[in-house]
Amino acid sequence: MKYVIIGNSYAGLSCADAIRRFDKIGEVTIISDENYKAYARPLISYYLEGKTTDETIWYKDDDYYEKNNFKLMLGKKVVSVDTASKKVIIEDGTKIDYDKLFVGPGGTPFIPPTEGFNPESPMMGTFTRFDDAKKMERAAKVAKHKEAIVVGGGLIGLKASEGLRGLGLHVTIVELLPRVLGLALDEISGNMTAKRLNENGIDTATGETVTKINLDESGNPVSVILKSGKELVADIVVVGVGVRPNVGFLEGSGIKIDRGIIVDKTMMTSVKDVYAGGDAVVIYDVINKRPNIIAIVPLACEEGRVAGTNMAGVYREYPGGMGLNSVEIYGLPIVTIGLTNPASESQKVYIFQDGEKIYRKLVYDGEVLVGAILLGDIAGSGILSAIIRQGLKCLKYKDEFLNGNIYSFVIDNEFEIYNINEGYAIRGDFEDLPEFSRTNWR
Amino acid sequence: MNKNKLTNLKEDLKKNQIEIMLYPSKCDGCEGEEFMACVKACETHMNKKYGSKYTGARINIKKKENKFFPIICHNCEEAPCVDACMPGARYKDMETGWTITNYKKCVGCWMCVMSCPFGAIERVGKDHFASKCDGCIDEDTPKCVEACKKGALKRTGIKNYSYERRLMVAKKIYGPYIKSNIKG
Repeated sequence: MKYVIIGNSYAGLSCADAIRRFDKIGEVTIISDENYKAYARPLISYYLEGKTTDETIWYKDDDYYEKNNFKLMLGKKVVSVDTASKKVIIEDGTKIDYDKLFVGPGGTPFIPPTEGFNPESPMMGTFTRFDDAKKMERAAKVAKHKEAIVVGGGLIGLKASEGLRGLGLHVTIVELLPRVLGLALDEISGNMTAKRLNENGIDTATGETVTKINLDESGNPVSVILKSGKELVADIVVVGVGVRPNVGFLEGSGIKIDRGIIVDKTMMTSVKDVYAGGDAVVIYDVINKRPNIIAIVPLACEEGRVAGTNMAGVYREYPGGMGLNSVEIYGLPIVTIGLTNPASESQKVYIFQDGEKIYRKLVYDGEVLVGAILLGDIAGSGILSAIIRQGLKCLKYKDEFLNGNIYSFVIDNEFEIYNINEGYAIRGDFEDLPEFSRTNWR
Repeated sequence: MNKNKLTNLKEDLKKNQIEIMLYPSKCDGCEGEEFMACVKACETHMNKKYGSKYTGARINIKKKENKFFPIICHNCEEAPCVDACMPGARYKDMETGWTITNYKKCVGCWMCVMSCPFGAIERVGKDHFASKCDGCIDEDTPKCVEACKKGALKRTGIKNYSYERRLMVAKKIYGPYIKSNIKG
């Protein structure tokens, strides 16, 4: 069996691992258009700050590919997929046969139309790849005024500005929405986050956009002009507005695409034997109860695993996921889970705030918890995300959750389970036992 | 395989995956004593193992009314914390089956804290890492199990566990007619 995996990141590797769990001899080829073995993509901002280095940014061990017998093709860009004759076509004309194909192309940065933006310039760019981080590292060294502009106040923008700030630049975030992390946070928490940023040398210009970038003779930025007419000095301009599914190469392959790649419950696309996962697929959103693109690491791994299991011939369904994210801004941990800004009148909001340090917000739909924001104190937030994902009724715990006693839910509910069984092993599922051995854990 | 071998704890621990079992009803939080024995033991061991950084207990006892509950890693098979780990710091150790952490890679993004359904991963803000039990895989017996004198924590292999659990169910149904012959 010939397995081909396009994309050498979270979804692709999780898929490869799942295939290896069930198929020890199948030929697995992983194709990537980058020249690096798998690295921790969201960590490129930490790379700028020096929190992760050239040694520790790699996602897997050095001998990972050899040990699992994966064939790795680096620096090969896939231009199209011929689903009729089951071939993947690479830029240089090479054709690779497959029996089962996994597509995990991830996203490409979205660049809003801005006058003067030129990604070829060494002082301007996007911020999603290792090369981008290296480019910014070089740019920061030659920046004259030590001023950087980051367009976009979402996660990418925030992390990019933190990284640039770590290189000693003064950063201004330009965000269209009225607050940073506008889609995930609400007004209070957004302001708390912005305050933390401002205290650490990152300015926020919210409700603004960059209309024009003024360039010098060599095409490098000098200043930017905002919507309000304000002019800001800029040595470096980074656009981190967001990503769009990187699905251009699938055109003409017959794979159904509507914003992202459409998949069924087994993560198979509309074409047989072609599976997909990661940031480019549309999956079922269990909170909003509709298909949605959710581009986060945990779901990419889950999707990849379900796809890989099915590719290896073991049936498995994916129940759908939900959006959740966690980030730390200068010592202020932020966790957002599910629906954080209520969308309908049936949803009620409960808030707890302790000065500028701690903020908790719960969104209930009837008796069911559908979303939460935790700032400052995130202990036990995983319990909340499990509750939200499963749609458990827990209105009577709202006061305890607000006060930070998230564990009381566990004690009340699990204590009984443990007692019924008079002891409970930490691993619970013995139905799967025949599959298990020390070495084939996934 | 003869009957003895099936439930021989030593053999089981050598051959199969080692697990820590919880009996929360037996835990009394070491009330009236100076400290919780398991927490203290873990802390001491971690200080010895890691030196100055990455210390602190990996087990915690939470209390509600008169109930005590040990919060410890449940070593999920498809662990959400492994999925969520962006730097690839948390992984399954192939030999022991335990979910363990390479703290050198951990950057403190708190994705695992947000994903753990048992709340067993702790954010250590000061040193900027997420601490989680590693099952004392390089020790004979996990230190918390060694320290617990109340029988709330127990170490066992999966063969033993399934055998014990079958007996427990049988015992519930048939009461005194069946005798458990497990030791350890």
